[in-house]
Amino acid sequence: MTEGRSPPEPVTTAAEHALGVLTGEELRDARRRAQSDQQFAEEVARWRGKFAPLYSEIEAVDPPGAVWGNIEAETTRHMPANDNAAALHRQIRIWKSAVGALSVIAASLVVMLVVEPRPDLAPRQPPSQAVVAPMVALLGGNGSTKVVASWDPAARQLVLAVAGDMPTNPDRSKELWVIPPNGKPHSLGTLPERKEMHMRLADTLATLLAQGATIAISVEPRGGSPTGAPTGPVVASGPLTRA
Amino acid sequence: MAKSDAESLRALYEQTSAKLYGICLRMLRDEAEAQDVLQEVYVTVWRRAGSFDEARASGITWLATIARNRAIDRLRSRRMTTDDLNAALEVPDDSPTSLDVLEQAEDADRLRRCLEQLEERARTMIRKAFFDGATYPQLAEQEGVPLPTMKSWVRRGLLRLRGCLEQ
Repeated sequence: MTEGRSPPEPVTTAAEHALGVLTGEELRDARRRAQSDQQFAEEVARWRGKFAPLYSEIEAVDPPGAVWGNIEAETTRHMPANDNAAALHRQIRIWKSAVGALSVIAASLVVMLVVEPRPDLAPRQPPSQAVVAPMVALLGGNGSTKVVASWDPAARQLVLAVAGDMPTNPDRSKELWVIPPNGKPHSLGTLPERKEMHMRLADTLATLLAQGATIAISVEPRGGSPTGAPTGPVVASGPLTRA
Repeated sequence: MAKSDAESLRALYEQTSAKLYGICLRMLRDEAEAQDVLQEVYVTVWRRAGSFDEARASGITWLATIARNRAIDRLRSRRMTTDDLNAALEVPDDSPTSLDVLEQAEDADRLRRCLEQLEERARTMIRKAFFDGATYPQLAEQEGVPLPTMKSWVRRGLLRLRGCLEQ
């Protein structure tokens, strides 16, 4: 990462930092400098302003409804103040646990998922009416299990692991639904093209994940159902039961 | 959270979330991650003392910048080189603070004109970095050039860009 030339002038470093191209030692230095050197921080800010018109080239996309539910739950809850470093540490821990989980999935899919609570969520209170025991749904389609969903009501954490072939089409999104007995489907958000995901649900959604509810995945226009109800074919579904 | 505050947050979310989600999707190309980051942006803005009022006062540019920075952090953690990871952990994120609210966004036409005046490869690299969150080592690898060469292309481009914008 070293170069045999003189270091760039600070104004270039500020531009590079605003653009986000720096890595390793250079990134570390720039971040430190932005904390300690007011002039440098202002230069970075000016560059961010210079690049800002480029945002207009990015198309707006409506996020699925579940995102707001999560934000509402997070901001309503009284949590200890978190600085950014702590938040990042947490993210990395989650990332690592997800990678760890992936490697064992083939061997003991269900058990692994059920016993893998996120440590920082453990002390929270469960939603008032939810069953506290972990639950599982095997989402099948065309006669085979496609996705395993495990639900930990205490942590309000839903973990999904893809266990079979799922249709992939970059122009479409797969959307996850919970359907209470005799109720309407509620969206839990769209799913990524990857093998495993964690989501934390807002209380209002969490209470729907109870015995007898059905978890389903439908194919929707990119970004999710435009109507708030499933509009495309259901590719996998299954009942939620005690683990 | 008081009711009126909750309503303000909701209003801010309704006005800005589609744009921010678009930014997150464009950079991360993964819906679940984009949703995570989107959520993180609003929760962060909410929690950080005073920053919620600034967000309301300064509008989309500031939030867009936070969203982009968060998406870049996510991309870096995805790549997970120990070096980047340590850099991220040692020094807190320097997302824009109140100061930045004072900075007005550059005029869009002028930026476009100035970008057009750059050498094509510099312009392309700058745009890739902005929209895809590509770093120097990635750009160098993608273009098949040594890292110092890539750095000098981009740096020269940035200096010319600044010169043009200051005219």
